[in-house]
Amino acid sequence: MSDPTDPIDPFPTQAHPPVSPFPPLDEPVAADPSSDWIGAADAHDLPTRENALVALGRFAFPPAPALDEEGEASRARRWTSQTLFVICAFLMIFNAGSLQNWARQQPPGWGQSTVDKLATVWVDQLALLGANLPVDGLRDAWRDAQAVQFDGTAKDRS
Amino acid sequence: MLFPTLAFAVFFLFVYLVSWSLDRENGRRKLFLLLASWFFYAQWDWRFVGLLIASAVLNWGVAALIVRSDRAGRRKLWVGLGVAANLTILGFFKYYGFFVEQAVDLLAQLGWERDLPLLQVVLPVGISFFTFQGVSYVVDVYRGKTAPAESLLDVMLLMSFFPHLVAGPIVRASDLLPQFARVPRLTREMATHGLLLIVWGLFKKTVIASELATRLVDPVFFDPSAYGAIDIAAAVYAYAVQIYCDFSAYSDMAIGIAALLGYSFPRNFDQPYRAASMQAFWRRWHISLSSWLRDYLYVPLGGGRKGLWSSCLNVMITMLLGGLWHGAAWTFVAWGALHGGAQVVERLGRAVVKDRKVIPTWLGILITFHVVCLGWILFRAETFDLAMQMLAGLGRFEAFSLVTPFVLALIVGGLAMHWLPPRAVEGLAERLKTAPSPTLGVLIGAAILLVEAMRPEGVAPFIYFQF
Repeated sequence: MSDPTDPIDPFPTQAHPPVSPFPPLDEPVAADPSSDWIGAADAHDLPTRENALVALGRFAFPPAPALDEEGEASRARRWTSQTLFVICAFLMIFNAGSLQNWARQQPPGWGQSTVDKLATVWVDQLALLGANLPVDGLRDAWRDAQAVQFDGTAKDRS
Repeated sequence: MLFPTLAFAVFFLFVYLVSWSLDRENGRRKLFLLLASWFFYAQWDWRFVGLLIASAVLNWGVAALIVRSDRAGRRKLWVGLGVAANLTILGFFKYYGFFVEQAVDLLAQLGWERDLPLLQVVLPVGISFFTFQGVSYVVDVYRGKTAPAESLLDVMLLMSFFPHLVAGPIVRASDLLPQFARVPRLTREMATHGLLLIVWGLFKKTVIASELATRLVDPVFFDPSAYGAIDIAAAVYAYAVQIYCDFSAYSDMAIGIAALLGYSFPRNFDQPYRAASMQAFWRRWHISLSSWLRDYLYVPLGGGRKGLWSSCLNVMITMLLGGLWHGAAWTFVAWGALHGGAQVVERLGRAVVKDRKVIPTWLGILITFHVVCLGWILFRAETFDLAMQMLAGLGRFEAFSLVTPFVLALIVGGLAMHWLPPRAVEGLAERLKTAPSPTLGVLIGAAILLVEAMRPEGVAPFIYFQF
């Protein structure tokens, strides 16, 4: 077969479409049998059987009702407080030297002396674990950057 | 008690915990915040807590009298008396010595040598801020723009609330009083935004501003004759960065601290060195002061309603008084005159060229920045002589001695932060608000640790404390 319209030109320039190689049949065609297909149905709507353990769990620990505005605010406060606690703990471990410096700058007295002693023990113990290394390393790198001159030499930091 | 100190951190944590534990009783919470604010203020000078209380009582009383007066003339009288009383307090503490010295000099020039009573008046920290807040409260009640406070407690807390007490931003009654009506709601977004602003402020103040001040600005402005043009020019640019990083850091931290307590303060800076005109600069720099001056000085003077020349005169008066607000010295008046004069030139120029764009935006930014820097010389120099020495030194080419790659990087970095996305911190807060608290805590803790490693020993007071 050497039909000039086969394959069909994707961008026909003729005014009329080419003659179809599949002309309509003359004999009548039987109608499709009726279908039980529901066009609006969704597979997610189909009933599923709940897992018995899940059902038991929900019975034993019913989900909390949706939070109202006050509940949301309370949760946000708790979240903020936890964040602040983590920040404090993080700094108490990795920046313990600041506490010691601060204690030594306070007017002398019983309170100052107590805080200073506690801070000293805390700093020494954490130094054994190497908790002071990150901040000391950063500080040294920063001081080196400060000392660099335009000619590439480093000014004596002492 | 400065914000970037351990003492303040302990104080704030205590206030945070107690204030949120009183979340079911708004009155007690406000009372606690008021007592905490007075304690905070007493760390500078406990005697002036009385002044703070007296000022609040005065403004509360005047507002109550305005509300109860049924005649317009009587209301006008009360508002006039209220404003005058606030300005008298400010004038006595801030300008008494200055005006007496000027009067003595003037009399001496006229041939009348007189010994006028000179007093060494101690300047209460933050007096310029809380008296301006008092004036805005009284005037807003008079104008009907804000309802009078429900109680004296609200007015006292409005004027004394410690995050904005000593260096602003000037938070108006219409912003804060409605927030006092009930216990505020803290959201994750507010908390994250607040924490990020505090860290960002710490970085700007303790790293950029402090380093530039000690390494370059202070030595050059102390003795300009000892340095050449490059050092002096760098010092001027450095001061532009320093004062921005110093003051905007305080505002950022104040906004952040208030946010953690559940209150929202207005933005005070918006990348000011990106301004392409002096008018735009004042829409971005110390916004709470510039909008205060606009609403309570420029507009009552007539604003731009009576024509071009009248608006120019009003701008000039506003900027001169704005300069004097910053300090009792002629250098501040000259600074205000420079800003006023530049805005007058801009207005006249705009009247001539109408809507045509005469200069490209980048050139406008460059010119505006350099006019602002010229103003900073007057602002920073202690006397006119030193300011003139700075200007003369810009023509003296010698080898530089203070400019290092580190200092240069700080100046460039301080200016480059103006080209960050305009709401970068808010955008970051939006992303981080969904993080689990341990993750955010470690991130913020690491950021503070980084700042702590970079900052020099000790913390200098904020520049705007003296105002």
